Amino acid sequence: MNKKIGFILALVLVSLMMVGAVSAGLFDFMGGSDSNTNQTNNDNNTFIVGFDAEFPPYGYKDDTGNYTGFDLELAQEVCRRNNWTFVAQPIDWDAKDAELDSGSIDCIWNGFTIDGRENDYLWSNPYFDNKQVFVVKADSGITSIADLAGKTVETQKDSSALAALQGDNKSIADTFKTLTEVADYNTAFMDLESGACDAVAMDIGVAEYDIKNKDNPDLYVILNESITSEQYGIGFKKGNEDLRDQVQKTLDEMFKDGTVAKIAEKYGISEDALIQP
Amino acid sequence: MMIDTVISQLLGGMVTSIEIFLLTLLFSLPLGLVIAGGRMSKFGPLRWLMKIYISIMRGTPLMLQLIVVFFGPYYIFGWNLSADYRFIAVIIAFTMNYAAYFAEIYRGGIESINSGQYEAAQVLGYSKLETFFIIILPQVFKVILPSVTNEVITLVKDTSLSFVIAIPEMFTVAKQIAAADASIMVLLVAGLFYYLFNILVAFVMENLEKRLDYYE
Repeated sequence: MNKKIGFILALVLVSLMMVGAVSAGLFDFMGGSDSNTNQTNNDNNTFIVGFDAEFPPYGYKDDTGNYTGFDLELAQEVCRRNNWTFVAQPIDWDAKDAELDSGSIDCIWNGFTIDGRENDYLWSNPYFDNKQVFVVKADSGITSIADLAGKTVETQKDSSALAALQGDNKSIADTFKTLTEVADYNTAFMDLESGACDAVAMDIGVAEYDIKNKDNPDLYVILNESITSEQYGIGFKKGNEDLRDQVQKTLDEMFKDGTVAKIAEKYGISEDALIQP
Repeated sequence: MMIDTVISQLLGGMVTSIEIFLLTLLFSLPLGLVIAGGRMSKFGPLRWLMKIYISIMRGTPLMLQLIVVFFGPYYIFGWNLSADYRFIAVIIAFTMNYAAYFAEIYRGGIESINSGQYEAAQVLGYSKLETFFIIILPQVFKVILPSVTNEVITLVKDTSLSFVIAIPEMFTVAKQIAAADASIMVLLVAGLFYYLFNILVAFVMENLEKRLDYYE
């Protein structure tokens, strides 16, 4: 009986091995020949938008579990008007450049700040005015940027808040005790709530959304003094002029006929933040 | 988000995680055996090649390997990537990584079988191949089962690393829901899902161990 079990086990292992070898070979082959997809889009007429799905209200999961947001809806409308198939592709923000370069996404469109990145991408015209602000706890006694001296501050890795604090606004950052990078703003808020950090530097739109959705919004306050003012745009791979021009044309039409304003209202975004073409 | 939506979203992510888990095991278990065979071969260059492979796969982060496997074809060969390649890249990277670990586990198991078994098999007239597959390998299987269980449980949780090439596995979905809800409760629910799945895995492995306990 024992010999039989042993023999059967051995047979199973050998057949698994053969299946494994064959399939591995097949997969390699398939993976390698996927070389005919969108450089300038419109290969299968799909428009793949890369976004950070943890960035409400610009791109996030709604109550039914679908990806939605101000920027995603704009993109969806652009696709509808051009007869493209809209694909919302959540990406790891760290990998956004590799994703764009390699063609696995056609553009980066969610609260994507132009300032500081002007030469790294092919940009659309700026369409949104944004501010980088600090969020602190209401009872922390911090009311201005000067109060942040000696405090622990956090921001998202690869964000424009980080870029600002490491670049033009380094003098502010130098007064901090520490400036820590976290993977996402939810983690930063957890740290803020628990006292593990004193302030979070982030986009005002996301800050307002996050605070509104907390159990007790009054716990938090956004400092009036902002770090920087900046503009959002749509980032395309350098050289992809045709796609950018087409999207730009459609977006301009959407501004003119009031579609953009309507979508902004749906997400509680003030019209003052929009930059008309 | 309503709790039933949360659970159905997480289950959708869990399906992806389980797919990665099963496919990785399916390919890396046999591949590990092949690598172990190479590692123990008398042919010097092959042995060294396998040693280098195992060293690199175990010595570099799995996250980095995922990035290299997915973006490599573009940066090295200039091939454009497709959405389908994401999942394939995940399976390739996970398989290669876990095969290295399994190879060492197999090697440990095979080397632990005392030479008396080989001698007895020779006396009884078994060929080298028969000896390996009919006498040695079943005993190895019994010996390495606890180590394999460890790796399998690690694999369940390692599937969450595939977020780095944008695979919608369960932990990524949980983080997205947490961001939309501005709360972390859903992360605890996700932890519970992982734990339940691991209990199932541990239960299956324990049963397997019991059924192979034919000497006790």
